This record gives sequence, structure tokens and C-alpha cells, in this order.
Amino acid sequence: MRRNRVLGGMADSRPLGPALGPWLVAGLALVFLFSGSAHALTKCLICHGKPTLSRKLPSGRVVSLFVDEKQMKASVHGERACTDCHADITAIPHKGEIKRVSCVRCHFKGNPVGAPQKDIYVEYSKSVHGVAAAAGNTKAPVCQDCHGTHDIRSPKDSASQMNKAHIPETCGRCHLPVYGDYRESAHWKAFTGGKKDSAVCTDCHGEHTIRPHANPDSPTYITHIPATCSRCHASVAVVGKYGIRTEQVSTYDRSFHGIAIKFGGKAVANCASCHGIHDIRPSSDPKSAVHADNIPKTCGKCHEGANANYAKGKIHIDPTKKEAGLVYWVSLFFKWVTISTMVGLTAHIGLDLFRRLRRRGSAHTP
Amino acid sequence: MNEQRHDAENRSGVETGLRDPFREELEGEIRRAIEAELREELSQELRERVIARLRAELAEEIQTRIARVKAELEAELLTRAAAAPEAAPRTFLRFSWNFRAQHWILFTSCLTLIITGLPMKFHEARLSQLFFDLVGGVQVSTVIHRIGAVGLIFVGAYHLFYLVTFREGRKNFLALLPCPQDVLDFFQMLRYFLGRSEERPRFGRFSYVEKFDYWAVYWGMVVMIGSGLMLWFLETSLQHLPKFAADIAREAHSDEGLLATLAIIFWHFYNVHLNPEHFPMNRAFLTGMISEEEMRHHHPLEYEALMAARPVAREAPDPPDGRSAKGSS
Repeated sequence: MRRNRVLGGMADSRPLGPALGPWLVAGLALVFLFSGSAHALTKCLICHGKPTLSRKLPSGRVVSLFVDEKQMKASVHGERACTDCHADITAIPHKGEIKRVSCVRCHFKGNPVGAPQKDIYVEYSKSVHGVAAAAGNTKAPVCQDCHGTHDIRSPKDSASQMNKAHIPETCGRCHLPVYGDYRESAHWKAFTGGKKDSAVCTDCHGEHTIRPHANPDSPTYITHIPATCSRCHASVAVVGKYGIRTEQVSTYDRSFHGIAIKFGGKAVANCASCHGIHDIRPSSDPKSAVHADNIPKTCGKCHEGANANYAKGKIHIDPTKKEAGLVYWVSLFFKWVTISTMVGLTAHIGLDLFRRLRRRGSAHTP
Repeated sequence: MNEQRHDAENRSGVETGLRDPFREELEGEIRRAIEAELREELSQELRERVIARLRAELAEEIQTRIARVKAELEAELLTRAAAAPEAAPRTFLRFSWNFRAQHWILFTSCLTLIITGLPMKFHEARLSQLFFDLVGGVQVSTVIHRIGAVGLIFVGAYHLFYLVTFREGRKNFLALLPCPQDVLDFFQMLRYFLGRSEERPRFGRFSYVEKFDYWAVYWGMVVMIGSGLMLWFLETSLQHLPKFAADIAREAHSDEGLLATLAIIFWHFYNVHLNPEHFPMNRAFLTGMISEEEMRHHHPLEYEALMAARPVAREAPDPPDGRSAKGSS
């Protein structure tokens, strides 16, 4: 996609290095003094508006320095001047090392320039990406890597690379194998099939707060998985409207797995242990980990010697529902045995008390 | 006769004064021979008489000792059971040591199982969260639950052994068997409760209430131990059983656990401890003793049978029957 090419080019261009070669400015007779006005865009585009404008990095890689005016105008920063972000450019030809744009210049709570009043970058600095970037990992993504550069659009905009439909692709640029798995999953198939509530990367992993799954604050931490999945799968408003059962969460919660994980057990199955992680498939799919043929193998990850018996009977059962089969009848039997027994015993106790109180004052012996 | 002859000979020897060694030796030999003969004759005659007399004396001695020990024990029991010595009510041993020990193991196991089991069943309750936090997580709690289970299985197995091997066990078991009289007693009790009759049913050693408790435990043990073992050794059970069998076991374990808990807390606790007569606690499960008044009130048939058996027991010197409800006065 073109958008990506542009982004890739700009991302790779940092640092921009020393002033551009003399051949670039040979045609320019004047040295402009930048005033920071919107008209500056026109000036910059004299050079950067040429699709062929590029530069060879010391590594030998050629990067495009082209800025698409139409795209720039359509972005959320369309009314901004180039130097609002590229604040270190004060002269043409550019002098000194040109640094990467810092979004924090405007994007902080209380900013006076009309940027959204959010402190999201604070969260980012604690995220797995922010921590890695701060530690000097040049591959770790910064704002621009996900949000884009000159083409930044609102996530609601379907052309934004932060739009839900494009998130897997955006994340997949770095997380390629996971993206491959995800493309096969029920979630992505549902999404592309029109179920726009279906989960993409950020629905499970978070956005600016993204944490490694081993971090206990992460929504994908082993004991948080059920809560994370249940945000959609326990909600009639989300999955219920597509005819997906919401009881799967409550039945898990009352299973030994669910109870153990709720009270601190870590060696028990969570949703992902059985259903898979990025490649979750419907149980009807023979490749699914929860397909009847694969149940022995899936359960066998924890239960030594798991065999075909593990697939005999439903997994997510609600004993109060008839679909639970025999378990329903056993539950019903005990329910009525308990009720009738306790009614009988309590009545006996009540009568005994009644008689004793009536007899109070008289002798005990009959 | 023999004695006299022997004396005469002896004397004559001394009188004559003959002291030569040969004569002395001869005399000695004769004397020994005579003595041996005499002893033989004496023993023949006296042995039986002596033995008979010794036997009689020994029997008397044993009798008096038994009586003394009995008196001592009685005095001890009386002083132990009676708060006011001058009132000194009579008490009866209702539950033997063996019986009480089984009950102690049973109830400590059951309480352990209930305390660790209920938070699993009511995992949504905040109290459950508090409990698991308190014991250090669900892993710890499940280990405690299994310790309780071992106690329950042990006491169940021991009780069956007790029923077969101990005379007391067999007697108690027979007394606990349901019989038609229990049904009649139940209806008499209802009439009494409702004021239609002023007479309580006259129970024997075990009333229908106690029989119900006893047999309810059998049902509970079978369900809880059976399903519990299936879930404890899940991987082994699933080698032979389908998964839904484990689901049924889990459901039964959970539901029967609640039923048993309710029955114990309401029914058993009320009838034994919390009723106005015994509130807050009936000490019989600790001491094994109940008072004569309680005995007459709650187990009149047993009381009468005991009293009727007493004079007979006094004539026959050895009534060491293993009956747990041995009367003492």
C-alpha cells in the first residue's frame, strides 16, 4: 500500500543526517526564513512535492523524501505547518542533523495548540514498546510507526492505519508470524465477514498500554485471559447479537479451571490453553485445538494420558440447562432431594421448638 | 495312726542313746521312707480338699476385689459426672471410647471438608475470596480438602471394621437398623408435637431421629467418597470413563456436599446441641455420658431394659459384656 511505503520511507529516514547535497538546492536562488505559517507547506513542497526526491543513506539504502500534498492535507495535521513538527528545520538548505519528530511537543494534557487533551504517551512509556524504545532498541515502534507520519488520520477514518480494519496489518508489519496465525483465526474471519465487533490485536492486547504477556498487569497475563475474553464473550450486546453463546464464560468460571485460576492457580487451563491464542478456530474446524479429534492432544498438554474419553461430553456445561444432558438431571435430582429433605427436617425442627416453647414452665419428663 | 507310730519309733531311737553312724543312717533311711509313704498318703487324701479350699478362697478374693474396683469406678464416675456431689445423679455411659473416637474423626474431617469445599461451590461469594486469601490460595485449600478426605475415608472404613469385629459395634448396628416401630414413633412424635397427645414416643437406644442421621451418613459417604475419588484421580478415572461421568461426579459432589452441610448444620446441630434442652452444647460427644434423667426421657426402653437386667447381673458374678450403654449406679 502506498500509505505504508510513505511511512516506511519516513521511518527509515531518521536520522535525516547532514544537510542535503548541493545538487538538491542548485535550482533555488534564495534562502528562505521560515516564519511557521501554513504557507510554508508550499515552500517545502517545492522540493518535497517531487515524487522522485530521495536520499541515499550511509547504509546504502535509498529513502524517499516525497511528501504527498493531498495525503498531508487530508490528515489530522492538514492545517499544520511542516515546521510545527519538524521544528529543528530553520533553513534551506537544511543544516545540521535533522531529528525525528517528537509528538510530545503538542500531545500532552493541557497543551495550548488544540491537540487532544490526552496523556497517552505516559502510558506508552510504560508499555512493552516504550520500554524497549527507551532502552535503545531501534526496532521498537514509536508513535509514527503505528500512527503514520504525514498521513495520520483519526482511527475512525477507514483509511487510517489505526482503523480497526487495518490494525492487524499495522501490527503485522513487525509481528509477521503472529499476523499469519491471526489471519486464519475465527476472529479475523468474523471481522472480514462483517462482524465488526470481532477482536483485532488491540482488543486483547491493549493499545498504548500494551504489555508483555508475562507481565501481571497485562490483559493477556495468564490469569487475566478469562476476564479479557469475557469482555466480549460474556456480553450479549457484543457476541450475543451474532448468535454466539455467552454462557461459555460463566461455565468456565464455575469449572475447576475457572475457580482455580480465579483464586490464584497458575497451572490451570485458561481460554487460550484450549482454544489457542492467535489462531483460534471454531470447534467445527478440523484444525481447531478444540475439534473433537484434537481434544485428546489438547487436554493432553496438561492431563497425562488424555484419550478419546475426554471428548465424550460437552466441555462448557451449565447444569441448570437441559443441554447439559445427564448432568442436568443429576443436578435436578439433587435440587429436589435437597429442597424436600430440608423442608421436612426444618418442619420437624420447627414443630419441636413449637412444642417445647408451649411446654415451657412445665416439667421436662413426659 | 501313722503319725503316732512314727513318733514312737523316733523317740525310742533317741532314748536308747545308740549313736553309732550305721544306726543313725538306718534310722534316717527308715524315717525318710516312712515320711515319703506318709506324704504320699496325705497328698492323696488332702490334695483335693486343699485345692477345693484354695479355689474357694481365691474365688472369694476375686469377688471382693471386683466389688472393690467396681465401687471405686462408680465413685469416680459419680464424682466426675455430678456437678454437685450431694445431688449425685446417676449417669450412664452412652458412647464408648471407640464410638466417640470415630465421631471425632468423622466430624473433624467433615468440618475440614465443608470449610474448604463450600468456597469452591460458592466461588462467586466475597467470603470465598477472603477464605482463599486467608489459607494462601486455592492450591493450599485443595490439599487441606484432600487431608479431610483421607480422614473421612479412614473413619468410614474403620467403622465397617468396627461393626464386624466389635461386639459393641454389632449391638449398636442392630439397634440402628430401621424397623416398623420407627414409623409409628414418628407419627406419635407428630401427634405429640401438635398437642394431640401428651405422650412422647418411647424410644430404645436409638430414636428414629438418630437412625436417620446414621443412615444419611451412609448415603453421604457413598456419594461423596465415590465422586470425590473420581475427581481426585481424574486422569485415572478418565482412562475408563467418559468425560460426562466426571461432570456428573462433580455435580453430585457439589450438590450432596451442600445437602450434607445443611443437614448437619440445621438438623444434627439442632437435635443434638442447639435445642433449648441442650443449648449451647450436649457434652455427650465428649464425655460419652448421659444423665439418668435424659436416659429416662429420651431412651426409656433402653433404660428399663438396663434396670431390669441389673439384679440378674448382680447374681451372676461376671457380666463383662461389651455393651456401650452399660448401666452403672
